[in-house]
Amino acid sequence: MKRLLIASLLLIASAAQAKEVLPWIENDYAKAIAHARAADLPVFVEAWAPW
Amino acid sequence: MRAYVFTDKSLERYAGQFVWLSIDTENATNAAFLKAHPISVWPTLLILDPKDKVIFRYAGGGTVPQIRKLLDDGERAAHGSHAKADTTLIRADALAAQGKQAEAAKAFDEAIAEAPKNWPRLGRASESLVFALLQSRDPQRCAERALALYPRVRGTGSAVNVASTGLSCATDLDAKSWNRSELVAGLEKATSETLAAAGRIAMSADDRSSLYESLVDARAQAKDDASAHKLREEWAAFLEKEAAKAKTPDQRAVYDSHRLEVYLGLKQPEKAIAMLEQSERDLPKDYNPPARLISAYRAAGRYDDALAASDRALKLSYGPRKIGIYRNRAAVYLAKGDKASARKTIEEAIAYAESLPTEQRSEPMIASMKKQLDTM
Repeated sequence: MKRLLIASLLLIASAAQAKEVLPWIENDYAKAIAHARAADLPVFVEAWAPW
Repeated sequence: MRAYVFTDKSLERYAGQFVWLSIDTENATNAAFLKAHPISVWPTLLILDPKDKVIFRYAGGGTVPQIRKLLDDGERAAHGSHAKADTTLIRADALAAQGKQAEAAKAFDEAIAEAPKNWPRLGRASESLVFALLQSRDPQRCAERALALYPRVRGTGSAVNVASTGLSCATDLDAKSWNRSELVAGLEKATSETLAAAGRIAMSADDRSSLYESLVDARAQAKDDASAHKLREEWAAFLEKEAAKAKTPDQRAVYDSHRLEVYLGLKQPEKAIAMLEQSERDLPKDYNPPARLISAYRAAGRYDDALAASDRALKLSYGPRKIGIYRNRAAVYLAKGDKASARKTIEEAIAYAESLPTEQRSEPMIASMKKQLDTM
């Protein structure tokens, strides 16, 4: 468990950096599911915490 | 992962294959997501089908090649034809995502038993099994399965989690466990072997750090202070080297938490203080540096500085993490001998914890703070 909490520390960089490569939807679950239904695509979720 | 992994150009080819959703579990606006998909391990990677059903779950992060493999696995789970073991693995992932860890562990074991020769998902299934057993509070079986599966994942990225999580489970075992010493010895050997092979196995710096952490814990538990100290020194040197390679303050600060732990273990709080003061200057909106400084100043006996750091951290923080900052602040008051202020701080923490949305509210945490109040 401790390992995973530590692993989460790798997530603190800005969202803007990630957006350069992948089109992230930030903190909008309803929007992501609506997109997935419309495009018939699976949703990849990264659940993280800023610590 | 956001600092180092999801920025990698090689992931661009997956952009159109998924809808990409980033969920900050501390953010109260994500209550609806957390109600549907409770998260208890950070980070957790999920793949949902368009009907919002979990078809893939992985607890943990990874290197770019590991993430590419996970995305390929996820794609296959979404679209591909499945062998029996794959179908069972999808069911196991869904159970784990619902928080049914004991049932998930059973299903992961079934998937492993059904696995065809050279099944490419064996590593991920083994890691998930060990985590599910850890989370279902079954350290005995967690350690036993980790030790049994380790030879099958030896030399791969999955060896990191199987060995180090298994070792953590083994060291958590009650002294009454009949084979505790055998499990600890076997998994300590597996963890050391994986760490020694770090140059040949695809593993992140974070993975390597977690191997050191498990080994230090095992040596400290065995009261082998000399070996624990030597390992901590190696661990600190490794982290310092990695931090020196960082190109941005964000990337460097990724190592702050690991380094804080190891410096406090080495009784060198002054090193942690210098590092965290630098991070606070570089990242003034981030609550982590002042939150971590509370422990570093406290360890150095600088209680007033610790309290000032807690003020700054509380101003910047949000979500459940704020509770930990209150508790750390209370510990500083206690160290100072100011019981009344410690009590008041815990009362504030309880009020804050009770104000969180249901999905972020932890009843065991509230109960533990109320119990703490009774002892003050």
